Amino acid sequence: MGRAGGRGRGVRAAGERARPAARRARHRCRQTAVAYLFLAPSLAFFAVFLLLPLLFAVLLSLSRWAGFDLADIRPAGVDNFAALFARGSSFLTPVLTNTLLYALGTVALALTGAVLVAHCITRLRFQGFWRTLYFLPIVTTVVAVGNVWKYMYEPGGLVNGVLNALGLRSVAFLQDPATALPSVVVVQAWASLGSAILILTAGLKAVPHSYYEAAELDGAGPFTVFTRITLPLLRPSLLFVCVTQFITGLQSFALIIVMTGEGGPGDATNVAALEMYQRAFKYGDWGSASAAALVLFVLVLVITLAQLWLFRRKGADG
Amino acid sequence: MKRRRVLAGLAGAAASAAGCGAPGRGGGGRPGDPVVLTLLSHYATDPLKSALQRVVDEWNAAHDRVHVRTTAVRFQDLLTTLMVRQAAGQGADIIHPYSLWAGQLAQAGVVRPAPSGDAARIERGFARPAVRAASVRGRPLGYPTEVQSYALYYNKRLLRAAGLAGPPRTWRELEETAYRTARRDRHGNTLVQGFGLSRTDDSTVVNQTLALLASRGGSFLHPDGTHSALDSPAGRAVFALERRLIDRGASDPGIDLMKAFPAGRVAMAVSGAWWTGSLKQTMGRDYRDVGVAPVPGPAPGNRGTVTTGFLLGVNAKSGHQREAWEFLRWLNDEVVPAGPGAGRAAAVRATRMSVLQMSVGTMTGRTGDMRALLAAGGDQNLGPFVDALDYATPEPNGPRAQKAKALLRKNIEEMWTGRHPPDAAVRNAVRQIDQELSR
Repeated sequence: MGRAGGRGRGVRAAGERARPAARRARHRCRQTAVAYLFLAPSLAFFAVFLLLPLLFAVLLSLSRWAGFDLADIRPAGVDNFAALFARGSSFLTPVLTNTLLYALGTVALALTGAVLVAHCITRLRFQGFWRTLYFLPIVTTVVAVGNVWKYMYEPGGLVNGVLNALGLRSVAFLQDPATALPSVVVVQAWASLGSAILILTAGLKAVPHSYYEAAELDGAGPFTVFTRITLPLLRPSLLFVCVTQFITGLQSFALIIVMTGEGGPGDATNVAALEMYQRAFKYGDWGSASAAALVLFVLVLVITLAQLWLFRRKGADG
Repeated sequence: MKRRRVLAGLAGAAASAAGCGAPGRGGGGRPGDPVVLTLLSHYATDPLKSALQRVVDEWNAAHDRVHVRTTAVRFQDLLTTLMVRQAAGQGADIIHPYSLWAGQLAQAGVVRPAPSGDAARIERGFARPAVRAASVRGRPLGYPTEVQSYALYYNKRLLRAAGLAGPPRTWRELEETAYRTARRDRHGNTLVQGFGLSRTDDSTVVNQTLALLASRGGSFLHPDGTHSALDSPAGRAVFALERRLIDRGASDPGIDLMKAFPAGRVAMAVSGAWWTGSLKQTMGRDYRDVGVAPVPGPAPGNRGTVTTGFLLGVNAKSGHQREAWEFLRWLNDEVVPAGPGAGRAAAVRATRMSVLQMSVGTMTGRTGDMRALLAAGGDQNLGPFVDALDYATPEPNGPRAQKAKALLRKNIEEMWTGRHPPDAAVRNAVRQIDQELSR
């Protein structure tokens, strides 16, 4: 009995201990449910506008579809991917190589230009005016930018006019496959300079002035100050600009459509996003367009992760 | 079957979420309201837009039960608009596609063959190349409307200035005329192109090459449409001719032909009939310098060219098939007096579409109408185009025709820019096109 009573007391005690635990668990459960309830609208938004389209793209990449009737979707396995990389297909070369060169060229030019300009702007009066001036191409439509540059590049245009005035022969910038892609890269870099300058200027302003004073006391020259203080402390801003510009460069094709039409001459300025657009909306080949989109997605992901890893490693080493 | 149903279900859910509804048409409106047919075309600018609207207004005024509403986009946006609207269930009842897309649209179930009565009318009333351009697997999909055959435009003033009395009749004369009329400044900038080669659009790149190819007896695809016939003596000769013209400074693909010719900076160019109307409008009095001749062949009298066109068909998803075909018959098959707007040709009897097309400087595939309207005061420069309908080869319009054309265009441009020699460009084009057609 005593043992039984003791056991009963023990059970009661355990029950009393368990009750607050169960209450806590129930409370946690309720909190979680409420949290999910609050998250539901945004989760639903992501599911509807991100996850489902993504799943649809994956499904289409493994199918054949002309883009008209959903009942006409036919399974195709990995045929679309195989066709993209088949011998003689232009997707790997020149389309993907053009895409990489376009993105790389744009980032290299825009980043170098932006660092130099931002560095100079922070040393000038009327900084707001200069920032606005460099930001203007961002608020101008791509069509206007592309058309103006296209006329400038034409045989009788401004650029060739300058070359002719210097006694040089005209260059068919957008007609020669050797110069067409670099010519568009220059325009894309010029057009994206503004946002890069804005971010880098903010980054430069965040660098504590005491570092520069200490460097000056130590007798460091402007070049040393720039490479040893400014650039390392600007790394987060540089990383952001680099990643976003690269992603934009890999995905953009509007400027190319305006300046060279369908990625010509030949395939000289054809890039993955343009190829994807043409396959889907012009040739009604949604399967291969979706396969190309997934390949581009993987490429963007790998390059972005590589950039993050590289900058983090540099950060740890530095 | 089950797998397909699951796929379609998944796709349906995903596509609905992504904003694409299944195509379909609601009835809408109250009982007794007129049926409203929508018509999507590329007649987005004048004079085409007003010309089409005039006949549609005439129909609407005379018919209480069925009304037609036109919507138009630029030709460059037509295929994309057509596809996107169809996928979203917003396809127009009547569509006006380029005949090149006929196979693609038929395969996707957007257009079906015309009803037997209309098919018989089409086959009876139109020139053979026009019917073939508007047909898939031998069955017309709709009424051929605007028909383009290709001929040689030349600037009489520039030819006279080079001491030439008339247009070339052979390839050899074409080449000599091109070299004699071309001029450049000391910096190498082109002042006058002898023979206009241009990257402006598909028709300026590909159709002029295909017209030259046909004039030499060659063709782009084999008759069954399954593989390319470009790798032939004729194909290699056309590529070599274009390359020579560029190398020797008679052609400059960097120049916009559509602007340079009206400005008197191109001596000769191959283009479609529609250009006469456009040139007349842009050149004003200078249009009298423009002449048109058949595309030269290897020897005098050798003839051959290519023809393309548009067709007016009924959307397979339209809920008003009968009304739509009734309107198309009224527009394309009823013979009426040309009317006061046709000037000296007012008394000539022709279909409404023939009068419409002639009024904007282009033509239909009804050669009888065209000849009657031309004889009664039409632009005589259209004569060679009408004649060409007797011997022209229609542009292939299989399910992958647009892609095959794009591949040909890219290879022509690779050859023009010196990336590939002509023979290699021909081989490359054939390999890529055959691969595409085999999919």
